[in-house]
Amino acid sequence: MPALPSRAARRALLPLAASAVLLLAACSAATGDATGTTGTAASGTPVSGGTLVYASGDAEPDCLDPHVGGNYPQALIAGQYLESLVSIDDNGRIIPWLADSWEMAEDGLTWEFTLRDDVRFSDGTPLTAADVKATVEHVQDPATGSSTGYLALGKVAGVEAVSDTVARFTMTAPDSALLESLSQPWLAIESAAGIARGLDENCQAPIGTGPFAVDGWVKQDHVALVRNDNYSSPPADAAHEGPAYLEAIDWRFLPDSASRYAALQAGQVQVIDNAQPDTLAAAASAGTFTEIDAPRPGASNRLELNSGQAPFDDALVREAFIRAVDVNDGIDSLFFGTAERSYSALSSVEPLGYSDESLFGTDLKKANALLDEAGWSEKDANGIRVKDGQRLSLAFPVSTNQSIPAEQSLFEQVQATAAEAGFEVVITPLDLSSWYGALFTNDYDVVSAPYTKVGPDVLRILYHSDSITPAPSGYFANLAQLSDPELDSLLAQAASSLDADERQTLYTAAQKRILGSFTVLPLYDQQNHFLLSPTLHGARAIGTVSTPSFYDAWLSE
Amino acid sequence: MSELELRTVAVGARPRVATVRIGTVLAVAFALYLLLACLVPDAVAPQDPNQIAPRDAFSPPSPAHWFGTDESGRDVYSRVVFGTANSLLIGVAATASGLTLGLALAVLAAFGGRVFDFTVNRTIEVLFAFPGLLLALLVIVIAGPGPVTATLAVGLSTAPGYARILRGQLLAVRRSGYVEAARVLGHRPRRILGRHILPNALAPLLVLATLGIGQAIVWASALSFLGLGALPPTAEWGAMLSAGRPYLATAWWLTVFPGLMIVLTAVASTVLGRALTRVRAREGATQ
Repeated sequence: MPALPSRAARRALLPLAASAVLLLAACSAATGDATGTTGTAASGTPVSGGTLVYASGDAEPDCLDPHVGGNYPQALIAGQYLESLVSIDDNGRIIPWLADSWEMAEDGLTWEFTLRDDVRFSDGTPLTAADVKATVEHVQDPATGSSTGYLALGKVAGVEAVSDTVARFTMTAPDSALLESLSQPWLAIESAAGIARGLDENCQAPIGTGPFAVDGWVKQDHVALVRNDNYSSPPADAAHEGPAYLEAIDWRFLPDSASRYAALQAGQVQVIDNAQPDTLAAAASAGTFTEIDAPRPGASNRLELNSGQAPFDDALVREAFIRAVDVNDGIDSLFFGTAERSYSALSSVEPLGYSDESLFGTDLKKANALLDEAGWSEKDANGIRVKDGQRLSLAFPVSTNQSIPAEQSLFEQVQATAAEAGFEVVITPLDLSSWYGALFTNDYDVVSAPYTKVGPDVLRILYHSDSITPAPSGYFANLAQLSDPELDSLLAQAASSLDADERQTLYTAAQKRILGSFTVLPLYDQQNHFLLSPTLHGARAIGTVSTPSFYDAWLSE
Repeated sequence: MSELELRTVAVGARPRVATVRIGTVLAVAFALYLLLACLVPDAVAPQDPNQIAPRDAFSPPSPAHWFGTDESGRDVYSRVVFGTANSLLIGVAATASGLTLGLALAVLAAFGGRVFDFTVNRTIEVLFAFPGLLLALLVIVIAGPGPVTATLAVGLSTAPGYARILRGQLLAVRRSGYVEAARVLGHRPRRILGRHILPNALAPLLVLATLGIGQAIVWASALSFLGLGALPPTAEWGAMLSAGRPYLATAWWLTVFPGLMIVLTAVASTVLGRALTRVRAREGATQ
């Protein structure tokens, strides 16, 4: 399971109080330009104490340790009790966190991270380089079953604790994405002693250095988080020092979107995540709540066309599909203006993202011409094109866990517009495990599978031909089944390139090849909207994978 | 005839009879409308039910769109009309398969001897321990979602109820005076079963089926609502309810109209079932 986010995303933190113009401007910016900390901290002096109630609409994790598996629901909550070696500020720059400084050898094959010497875990033990070593070994141990963290550490051969405060990473090849990878919650540092307790116990309550610690977990109800009074390691862009203001966080699971919003309106909860488009529209007109719109980094939400089998093994048919499908009006009406159309394989928060709108203009005439050219020139009684007795039928399994209702409706519109060119799109709504099953057995022609990772290296995971080979779990990330030696070489070079300009040139070239292959129909950023009660101040989404941070947060009533 | 009229007047039942008649007339009218919607939806619906118009999404009811438009700008009234066949078909087919299975079990229990009777009865009791809808869900989990499995699942979960009623009916008829008379007259068992027992035991089936269809439609809609029945973009009332639910607060017409159709259909089918029961009872009384 990669970071298979269900919904959405944005780094910029936008006070509703700010003008709508500002909001739209920030939405369209390629790099987050609104600051994280000013979002809700505007008024008054922080007050200590109180319990924050958070209502999550994302799936309840199976394990609170994000090393295990590694999905977005885990990242959401783990950000409260685990911290990483480095973080990313609102301008997309890597900033110190548990590591004060770091140095890469000239050949790029060793990295030395110098840790802060004053950090303690929530159990009181000091953070040392041995914990960094234990964390990497834990993620790389096949028994842990890590997917997202494991893939991100692909080039790390091992970690050595040179001293209590210096950890040396040995690489198999230069990795230009190492710092970005290490900033992610799926590679957050856990205590060696905590890991040594074994997987089951560690899943219940991982021990980290975060501002809060896990105090208990009532399954299918809530996770109790309490303030870590030993806390001393805020990231470089935090607004204060010392322990958090909040005494505790009551992290509740409330899957129904309408119930979540009702709970927020009633004052029973102070934060909701996965706020749906209609909820956001209602909240915007009510004007009471603050919205954090924090698109997730990594890939955009896109449709992948399976080029590994007929009919999409023919590039003409792929292009015809992309030309036939019309999603712009649907995105406007279904998302009430909360999501902006993307023309890039990467999230809008990725500075190296490359967009090309010209590839994705709807043109039914051209679609028909392309299909005729590809030999799909006859139609059956239902208007579906036929070639050699085969109907132009496309299997489109949809995960009802990952695609929100608005997105499912958008897919029906894709189905309806593709039909005009003579495509039969068979949408099958599936639960998560059946959906994985359909992917494992290659029983799909179109699929939407968002992937969250910091930095453009996500392209290597999604489009390098190596990713067509399934992992032991059966999952493979290259769902477009794009197998292009030149693209492979561009992606491999980019991942090893330690020169910023060269890296940008390589990633741009790679994205041009990906978009030009017509295996990808970008839709919008991975949506990630939070609504905050007016009594909550100082909450923000952090610049790594856009998860919320409540370290600077306080309650005014 | 005059005696009958006198009796009704005597019990003071005339006003009640009148209201029932109006209800029955309305139910028949509604059933005819449904039949029309099933057979010639194009004549009843103003638009193609799957014709999207994203720019017109979420329009409230108006002369152009009687029931408004949905999240993709499709005409809700047209979808309700085209959904009739899908929803009713599941209801009717589910009831039919439930009745068939129930009948098979009942015959086995009533005529199969003690061992079969015991086995069938205990099986029915075990199945009764599960709420019907849960049983249907279980079937779908095993067999996978889709309209066919949804139909079979609902049918299967209603079968125990039918089996129990029919078994009782079969036993009662078997012990009745005229069957005993036939036996005494020396008719062969097969002839007795075919000429006397089955026709008399199965007469209530029609009533039972009419009553059952209403419930089957509600259950099938529930399954579609849970995403386990009709596949998109098929118009089906339960699936429409489910798709409209996120917009309950902002666009009530997405859910109210398909919901109303489910309710009205279930009510109409129940009213018709009751009317049939009364007709049968009257026939029985006059015989």
